[in-house]
Amino acid sequence: MARTPARSSSPAPSDPTSSPTARPAYVLGGNRVPFARAGGPYAHASNQDLLTAALDGLAARYGLQDEVIGQVAAGAVLKHSRDFNLTREVVLGSALSSRTPAVDLQEACATGVETVLLLANKIRLGQLESGIAGGVDSASDAPIAVSEGLRRVLLDLSRARTVGQRAAVLARLRPKDLTPNPPRVDEPRTGLSMGEHQALTTVEWGITREAQDELALASHRNLAAAWESGFFDDLVTGYRGLARDANLRTDTSLEKLAGLRTTFGNHLAAPATMTAGNSTPLTDGASTVLLGSAQWAADHGLTPLAAVVDAEVAAVDFVHGEDGLLMAPAYAAPRLLARHGLTLDDLDYVEIHEAFASTVLAILAAWESETFGRERLGLPGAFGSVKRERLNVHGSSLAAGHPFAATGGRIVASTAKELHARHVAQVAAGDDSPVRALVTVCAAGGLGVAVLLEAA
Amino acid sequence: MTGPLRTVELPTVPPLGDSYRHALTAAAAGAVSRRVGRAGRGGATTTLPDVTLSAHGVQADAERLTAYQHLVGEPGTDVLPAGFVHVLAFPVATALMVRDDFPLPLLGLVHVANRVEQRRPLRLGQELDVRSWATGLRAHRSGTQVDLVSEVAADGVTAWRGVSTYLAKGVRLAGSAGPASEPGSVPASADDDGAGAGEATDRQPFEPPVPTATWRLPADTGRRYAAVSGDVNPIHLWAPAARAFGFHGAIAHGMFTAARALATVGAVRGESFTWSVDFAAPVVLPTTVAVRVARRDPATDTSNGIDTSTGTGTGTGHDLTVWDPRRRRPHLTGSVVPLPTA
Repeated sequence: MARTPARSSSPAPSDPTSSPTARPAYVLGGNRVPFARAGGPYAHASNQDLLTAALDGLAARYGLQDEVIGQVAAGAVLKHSRDFNLTREVVLGSALSSRTPAVDLQEACATGVETVLLLANKIRLGQLESGIAGGVDSASDAPIAVSEGLRRVLLDLSRARTVGQRAAVLARLRPKDLTPNPPRVDEPRTGLSMGEHQALTTVEWGITREAQDELALASHRNLAAAWESGFFDDLVTGYRGLARDANLRTDTSLEKLAGLRTTFGNHLAAPATMTAGNSTPLTDGASTVLLGSAQWAADHGLTPLAAVVDAEVAAVDFVHGEDGLLMAPAYAAPRLLARHGLTLDDLDYVEIHEAFASTVLAILAAWESETFGRERLGLPGAFGSVKRERLNVHGSSLAAGHPFAATGGRIVASTAKELHARHVAQVAAGDDSPVRALVTVCAAGGLGVAVLLEAA
Repeated sequence: MTGPLRTVELPTVPPLGDSYRHALTAAAAGAVSRRVGRAGRGGATTTLPDVTLSAHGVQADAERLTAYQHLVGEPGTDVLPAGFVHVLAFPVATALMVRDDFPLPLLGLVHVANRVEQRRPLRLGQELDVRSWATGLRAHRSGTQVDLVSEVAADGVTAWRGVSTYLAKGVRLAGSAGPASEPGSVPASADDDGAGAGEATDRQPFEPPVPTATWRLPADTGRRYAAVSGDVNPIHLWAPAARAFGFHGAIAHGMFTAARALATVGAVRGESFTWSVDFAAPVVLPTTVAVRVARRDPATDTSNGIDTSTGTGTGTGHDLTVWDPRRRRPHLTGSVVPLPTA
């Protein structure tokens, strides 16, 4: 991997700029709507509706009405073709100034975290003073496409010039062409759903049902505690009568989780372990993250919460079974930390997106594996271990739900707030050492992103 | 290896539909006499046409290439996929198989193996010369096998070579003994309950590997591949037609399954490679099959491609396996192995 000389000679690991030519970009806050289960209170809300609700909540919380923001970057995974300019349309319907530029971006489940990186990098380079990153997905309001046969007929019909040509084109229509195509959640190259892919990975890494259920339970308990303590009070704006994440089960238990039927991997040689309880449900929701330079924050009376220090992307060859579909973060994070001379022990928080409980556990297992460290990561041995009390401390996608493109914004905003709070507490106790978090998000297509955040 | 010296130039590439119509007529006319011939153990003739069929100036059609690429999952480049070259050459080979002096009936032939050597890439717009001949007529446990060899050249240089092995089930060569255990027993037709190659009993029992993919193959899979390949053999089109030939339903073209597996290997296969497949149980449509396309394990490297005796190093290339996940039996096994650079 090519690195600029300026980058590779990057000095102090605690320097959040990480490059002499760049200035820091800060997370200043965030706002999302409570995440709903598909078919729930947001069933008839569009991506545009949901993202506008999250954005207007952010504008209200940070006094951005009529403000020209440098750029809004957002995206959706399940996207209607009419939403070719989704984010700009959202901005035009929001409280922000209509002169705020916008861009759409898409990277499957890593869409949200990638919008944060895009804007943070622009701020670091001086191209922007402020930005709002975001993401939205509605599994309820998903686009449905016409069949390939009907699509071809319609396209050819629009090009036909004579009545005879039109008749000939229409004559090609068959009854089955009228069956619509709902969106596929299968990997296009393998035909396997994400759950079936993860089931293979679960077997490969020997992840047990008990370990998955325990992680799911921790996710629900941590998220419930965060809601109880008011942690989300300045991170979430209620919408359509929903005030809390609807997927959260405060009353769940290991017994209840253990009683669920398995949903993925039921046809493999090894016993199935993945259930609806230790997998994320289809979810509707939207999130936003406010980013800015130190100057812009000061000008607006806002407190920087955390710097977006650096990021690394990775991809794996799942098509030929060399790695599991969702294992790319296992590669991205070690490269990211190595660039800063950090190890897992230097991190105060580790956020690993819970696509499935076994996704998190397989990544942790890979990092603890001597063989994986040597043969795949090129390290002398295992990459390291994550202390569980530092992992997904306020719950993650298993409890909150996972509206694909909205997950990155949820994690970044929550983590930045937690980093800042911890740093303030440490400083009050006379300790000014850096407080850092690693965020990883896996995505369809064998993609993965790792982000390093540091408390401001 | 080259074909017979006597070459017959085809003025145009014969449409496959005509060949199948010819074959159907011949099958109807010959049904009685052939049955008599077999029962009388006189057997089919023992010689192959001593001729190489040749077609010049064959060109790929861009529209059809696109449709083929979309169907089997190849990227839409101007390079002709190895399976598409097979499609271009297939009418010439078929023209040989419908000749009166070809000893086996076209309809009912089971495609049991296919070996392709892609020596250099062929592109859209190139004028191709196709030569086809038959060789290796031989007795098999459950009938008679034959190899149809095709070579495709551009600018006088052979760039692609394919060997398709077919089995005529129950057809006995004159003078050759039937299976010792059950002399004279003649399976009526291909049997989709057993391995098509009829050699499953000689092999180790099939252990399904860890899948890397699953393919949902709808009922019209055969009709869709027929539309892009021109191979309108009725066993692939409609269940009733397939049943008439002894299958439980319409079956996927072997070359469709093989081409999709080749496409799954992707660009890592390089520009020159061997692509070898053995077809086992037919894929009865509609169905869902399990697939593994993965880099071959150096420990179990038993290269079986053409000319791999020259050695391509261990651990290079990919193994292909397509199987029925419920009955745990293989549909296709094979490999894609880089050709040693000349």
